[in-house]
Amino acid sequence: MTMATNFFTRYRHIAPLAVLRMAFGAVLFISTLRFMCKGWVHDFYVVPTYHFPFEGFEWLHPLPAAGMYALYAVMALAALCICIGLFYRVAAPVFFLCFCYAELLDKTYYLNHYYFVTICAFLLTLVPAHRYCSVDVLRKPSLQVTQVPAWSILLFKYQLCIIYCCAGLSKLTKDWLLNAMPLKIWLPAKADIPVLGPLLKYEFTAYFFSWGGASFDLCIAFLLLAKPTRRFGYVLVIIFHVLTAVLFQIGMFPYLMMSATLIFFSEDFHKKVISSIRSWFSRPPIAQEQTVLLPVRPGKQRMLFYLLALYFAAQVLLPFRYMLYPGTLLWTEEGYRFSWRVMLMEKGGTTFFYVKDAATGKKFEVNNRAFLTPYQERMMETQPDMMLQYAHILKHVYQQQGIAQPQVTVHSYVTLNGSGSRLYIDSTVNLANENNTWFKHNTWVLPFTNKQSR
Amino acid sequence: MRSQKLATVIVGSALCAAVVLFSCSKSGNNDTTPPPTGGGNSGGDTVLVNLGTNVILPAYQQLGTGTAALDAAITAFNAAPTATTLTAAQNAFKTAYKNWAAISEFEFGPAADLFLTTHFTNSFPTDTALIKSNTAGATYAIDGLANYAAQGFPAIDYLLFGNGNDAVLARFTTSANAAGAKQYLAALSGSIKTKAAAVATAWSPAGGNYLARFTKATGVDAGSSLSLLLNAYVLDFDVNLQNYKVGIPIGLYGPSMLPKAPTKVEGYYSGLSDQLLIAQAQAYQKIYLAGLNAKVAATKAQNNGASLNDVITNQLTTLITKFQALPEPLSTGVSNNASSINDAYTEIRKMTVLLKVDMSSALGIKISFQDDDGD
Repeated sequence: MTMATNFFTRYRHIAPLAVLRMAFGAVLFISTLRFMCKGWVHDFYVVPTYHFPFEGFEWLHPLPAAGMYALYAVMALAALCICIGLFYRVAAPVFFLCFCYAELLDKTYYLNHYYFVTICAFLLTLVPAHRYCSVDVLRKPSLQVTQVPAWSILLFKYQLCIIYCCAGLSKLTKDWLLNAMPLKIWLPAKADIPVLGPLLKYEFTAYFFSWGGASFDLCIAFLLLAKPTRRFGYVLVIIFHVLTAVLFQIGMFPYLMMSATLIFFSEDFHKKVISSIRSWFSRPPIAQEQTVLLPVRPGKQRMLFYLLALYFAAQVLLPFRYMLYPGTLLWTEEGYRFSWRVMLMEKGGTTFFYVKDAATGKKFEVNNRAFLTPYQERMMETQPDMMLQYAHILKHVYQQQGIAQPQVTVHSYVTLNGSGSRLYIDSTVNLANENNTWFKHNTWVLPFTNKQSR
Repeated sequence: MRSQKLATVIVGSALCAAVVLFSCSKSGNNDTTPPPTGGGNSGGDTVLVNLGTNVILPAYQQLGTGTAALDAAITAFNAAPTATTLTAAQNAFKTAYKNWAAISEFEFGPAADLFLTTHFTNSFPTDTALIKSNTAGATYAIDGLANYAAQGFPAIDYLLFGNGNDAVLARFTTSANAAGAKQYLAALSGSIKTKAAAVATAWSPAGGNYLARFTKATGVDAGSSLSLLLNAYVLDFDVNLQNYKVGIPIGLYGPSMLPKAPTKVEGYYSGLSDQLLIAQAQAYQKIYLAGLNAKVAATKAQNNGASLNDVITNQLTTLITKFQALPEPLSTGVSNNASSINDAYTEIRKMTVLLKVDMSSALGIKISFQDDDGD
């Protein structure tokens, strides 16, 4: 027990944490600016009339336009402050809270990489990453420490290990390994890109990338953890993520991962990085510095350990919660989010929503675009929990228009990894009467059978 | 020292990656450089070249010719409104309107930039009250935003066919507002003619050469030609054909409880609805068979145990057959509850699912009409 505790509490040089703070902060800053430049604050939070909040967060609503822009401006500023280490103890929680708020507003915009940002921002609030090579230290030299307890660095390594391993395990499916789906659809579609393009039309390439991707995800954590293979591992990280950046429209995700995985490098490596940064600013090299340990309050640290143990248990278990649900995971998407299931499915759908007045028996089909943005509509059309939320939006709207008991049904067709379109939802079920079961199985989702029905 | 070198390598690679990313993401945007010569490096290009050169550009040129002929016929009619010149104008209108049905699928690029869109050119039912007020001397901007419901083909449809030929001739001869009506009619056909010519020029290699950009923007990301085309194609089918041309008139589709609305069919006054539906379905078929079929076939995608390409090809044929069996005029059929219309609607539904779900998914195109990240 003491040995285990020692492993986490022994002192390590702070350099890896400082480099992570700067690299990750920089990517967060660029990513936030990119989000604003693309006009997504407007498209995602100002234009939509209705939103799809996460379960339990229905009380959250977007701010008015100016407020949302201000929120993102604050986020960008906080990211910059994290990067340079200015008012870090405030900036890190501010970024985390603002980002969480924006993410919880609407499931439409859920991406694994936003979840990754949320998690890393959370972990950053727990560690003293600002106490070295930061503006805070310049501002208040007494803040500087050179040694921190090992756990503050290990946190990030373990988190990344969980992410890569879960992503790898989720690829061990028949579709991914034996059918090379969905890469068999996505890669030939990219046959026009330079250099790699001509290779992509071959089925073999899809299999190679499928098996290669699964192996990479499964092995990379161990390659990065072990000293002899670390450099090789990081070269693989760069190749893998640059490839995904070239092949797929996945925004900042590759850069987030490339910056975060820097944490695996040795103290010496990070000290070199810090030294070169110092030399730009004509500061004395690390060799001349005095060793200062981060003061630790054992009681507080033990509390944090218990909390982190819970946190990591949740991190390990969440991706496997799908086993508690009946049916095909990628079809029902029950237990799909927060599980590092990345690039696993090519899913498309369409919905025809009907509203029927129980009093008159009259029925009509609604125009989804009158209520949702195209992006919201597309995401809703393949995700049952969002369809239910939409049915409740329709119920509310038409009740206000004077239909006392609107019955909402849907004809929905979905194709998953080249299955061909199939009926998705039981079209006889009045979704207006179905309650959000939170984390229970939705019985009105039809099973993914091999036989197709119309 | 070795780690310092490694650090340099890492920073260098990250920069390279960033350059690659940004240069890639740019390729779909406003780039007017000519296409690389000696192309044909992949199947994507040939399909875009064939679609652009042999389907889209000729369709716009035909619309240009059709609308110019319409404008000339209307000028002749305005100069001497007789039964003969009216028939000539009406025939020219029918041709031009059918030409429109062959290009409403391409609402991106020049068509969107130059407002040759369904919203301005084919909003029906037309606002007859607004037309009457405009012809009676109200000030109007013919292709203004506020005037969208009183312009385009549906407005001409009303003016040239509304309430029978006697009423039409009276509208342009004995009516107190005859001069205003002539002026308005000329403005309507002039506006369409100008826009159609502008879009044809913008596509043409001799003009704006959007064709080059279209054939060059390969790939499937937002902004690629295939994504723009299929998004426009599916949207036109789903919204304009399925919902507006059939769903609303038969009372199955709408913002609220609405009765059947026979007067809300396309081409209500000329009774051209069926022919326009057939022309549009034929356009879908032509576009699909111009290379999308090969792309879909190459994916080996299946639908219900059969090849998806065969299923889509057959469904397009079925659709045309069903449209040919519709009662003429469609509005009367709607009033009489003709079962053939509901039959056709069922087939339209199947087609929507095949295009929007199966075809798009098989080709890796996101039907979203919006730029965003995935993961």
